[in-house]
Amino acid sequence: MMESAIHPLAAMLITMLVLGSLTIFFYPEKGLLARWKHNRKNTERILIEDALKHIHHCEYNQVNCTLHSIAGHLSTSGDKAARLTGRLHSLGLIQPGFDNINLTAEGRSYALRVIRVHRLWERYLADETGVEEEHWHLHAEIKEHEVTLAEANRLSEQLGHPLTDPHGDPIPSSTGEVAERSGIPIGELDSGAFARIVHIEDEPQIIYSQLVALGLYRGMQVRVLEKTNEKLVIEADGNERILSPLFANNIQVEPIRHKKEVQHHFATLSSLKEGEKASVVAVSRKIRGQQRRRLMDLGFVPGSEVTAMFKSAGEGLVAYQIRGAMIALRRSQSDGIFIHPVEDESNDS
Amino acid sequence: MATKTHNPTDDIISNATRYRRETGEGFYDTVLESIYAEAASIAGRAVRQREDEPAYTLDRTIDRIVTSRIFGFPIMIALLAVVFWITIVGSNVPSDFLYLILVETLHPAINQFAANIGMPWWMSGLLVDGAYLSVAWVVSVMLPPMAIFFPLFTLLEDFGYLPRVAFNMDSLFRKAGAHGKQALTMSMGFGCNAAGVISTRIIDSPRERIIAILTNNFSLCNGRWPMLIIVATIFIGSLVPGHLAGLVSAMAVVGVAILGIGLSILISWFLSQTILRGEASSFSLELPPYRPPRILRTLYTSLIDRTIFVMWRAILFALPAGVVIWLVSNVTVGEASIADHMIGWLDPFGLFIGLNGIILLAFVVAIPANEIVIPTILMLIVATLGLHELGAGSGVMFELDSVSATASIFHAGGWTLLTAVNMMLFSLIHNPCSTTLYTIYKESGSVKWTTLAAIIPLGLGLFVCFFVAQIWRLLA
Repeated sequence: MMESAIHPLAAMLITMLVLGSLTIFFYPEKGLLARWKHNRKNTERILIEDALKHIHHCEYNQVNCTLHSIAGHLSTSGDKAARLTGRLHSLGLIQPGFDNINLTAEGRSYALRVIRVHRLWERYLADETGVEEEHWHLHAEIKEHEVTLAEANRLSEQLGHPLTDPHGDPIPSSTGEVAERSGIPIGELDSGAFARIVHIEDEPQIIYSQLVALGLYRGMQVRVLEKTNEKLVIEADGNERILSPLFANNIQVEPIRHKKEVQHHFATLSSLKEGEKASVVAVSRKIRGQQRRRLMDLGFVPGSEVTAMFKSAGEGLVAYQIRGAMIALRRSQSDGIFIHPVEDESNDS
Repeated sequence: MATKTHNPTDDIISNATRYRRETGEGFYDTVLESIYAEAASIAGRAVRQREDEPAYTLDRTIDRIVTSRIFGFPIMIALLAVVFWITIVGSNVPSDFLYLILVETLHPAINQFAANIGMPWWMSGLLVDGAYLSVAWVVSVMLPPMAIFFPLFTLLEDFGYLPRVAFNMDSLFRKAGAHGKQALTMSMGFGCNAAGVISTRIIDSPRERIIAILTNNFSLCNGRWPMLIIVATIFIGSLVPGHLAGLVSAMAVVGVAILGIGLSILISWFLSQTILRGEASSFSLELPPYRPPRILRTLYTSLIDRTIFVMWRAILFALPAGVVIWLVSNVTVGEASIADHMIGWLDPFGLFIGLNGIILLAFVVAIPANEIVIPTILMLIVATLGLHELGAGSGVMFELDSVSATASIFHAGGWTLLTAVNMMLFSLIHNPCSTTLYTIYKESGSVKWTTLAAIIPLGLGLFVCFFVAQIWRLLA
């Protein structure tokens, strides 16, 4: 019989080894094949585009751009950066000065094209997919070198021609115009002031991840509670958060001028117990795009009365009665809906 | 000459862009809020609401039972079992009837007619014994269960129960990084995977839709129950005393179906950890009020929308399959038929993973439609062992009336309990049929996803069979 040819244990062992080595080779993103492909793609074009982006970033923020900063940004040696700059110059994309490197008109429009794709892609990831916030930037860093201009325009149309990326940076238009970023650094607010976050810088990644972990998001209402040289204490969606100056520098806000726009209730729908009734105060800005529109279409708008009805077996969903319909929401959504408790007139409890 | 022609639309567009920047992103919110406020004030003036309607309280009572922590899942499994049971039992009679007409009566008659008009043997073999017979088989085996299953399913849907299933299962799917509505597309797949794949259109997030498409094959479709039921009856049912046989073999089938649900959640989780990485996007699920189902309307729409649609595709693919089966068993190379050669090559590997060459060949031939796996296996065993007195002729698919006659063919083909167990596992975990693959291609528009949809279950199936076989041999 066939069975006796190979001992079952040996057969299993060999198969495990073969499968294991196949996994090491073909595993998506981390496997040998994927790494090899990634390294091969790290071509001159990507270096050129990344350098142009960096120079544009310097110009936009009005800081001096040097060989040194280019080398640092691309994590490459000074020699290579010098060779790259020479190449950019010969292509007519930059104009090196004595203490500063500037983009030519052509170079600027090239840089803006790359930035447009990058920000559109981040916007797409934020609005239409379940990709986590920390990964938006990394995905876009790859996509910006791959997506063509025509594809970018189609994406923009599909998203309804968004004006900013999910971090609040303006998306350059297809004709290469880019709006000024509004807002002031959060550190410039006075104690007690109300403001809304308009921009969270997504680089460096480590700081951005921590800001995300603190639960800060664009469009969030904040209030400065305490301000010293070492730290900034803010109230964000009802919670106290402490920011070091390093972190605070990466957040831009716009002060809220009208008193009536200030939100006072930060209880969320997820805190509502079964049978309790509340009215919706606002839908948090961290719910974006399609999901936000869908929620509002279902009636989750300020003033709507909502009652928590029952939980699902696995605690995954909670069913809510709203405007005559029964809608079940996951916690990630009910966490983003602010409510104000109301007294139940029928008093059935 | 054309130095600066002023284009008036440019002005309009730049103005519009400027206004958009000034109004900001809260614009949609503001408009919607004011529409709702206006609508609410109109409704407040015009509509008076009755307090606590009885229908409403009844709805809440049903909801509390079907979504309760204790009864939620048992009720789901019981309903699934009942729907299966009605479908299996109910389709017996019409299946036999169609079989009697299409296969036992019409087939010899057409053959006779072909002989009368002097059609050469190879042509009548190809057209009548190949193409016609495979379509006749698929229609008689597939049409009745689909015509029962889909309306039953639509009735549950109409009644409002299916959204509650999605409601119950959401936490499992959320942890797997999948969309909550995948519970719905998965249940649709129990009828037919092609229909299940089409139903993933209800999932709006692209990542989760691909996950739902790739894992839909793990819902045991209509075409695969007959083979599970036959194999379970012969090999599993015979392990226990006669009065328990029916129950135990039915439980074995339900067990395989539940294993499929588990696998679809597991593979969803695996996909959202690797190539389709991401968090489960949030979604809102409407739980509509329960309604008495409209039976006639349901019958009509589910027959037109689902049954006929899926049936037509299956026929399109069964036709060439019949031709292929006939060809491989009747065209000889050297001494033996092509089928004999292929079985010879596949046998060592097949036996090694606890199946055999005939089973593997049958799964290759039956790519167009899973319904024809068992007939192909029986036909190939008969053809290779030369048991011609049992069959209907070389390369002709047939069904035997009594279970014991089928059992004796399996035993003659060298089947053991291990073969049967692995056969049941492999019929759940193997590549989707070509109808489903074609649908996946149409829905995803991508060769890559279609390929993965075939490779993932096939690889997993071979893997599972291999390990079951090795462990079986270790313990035996």
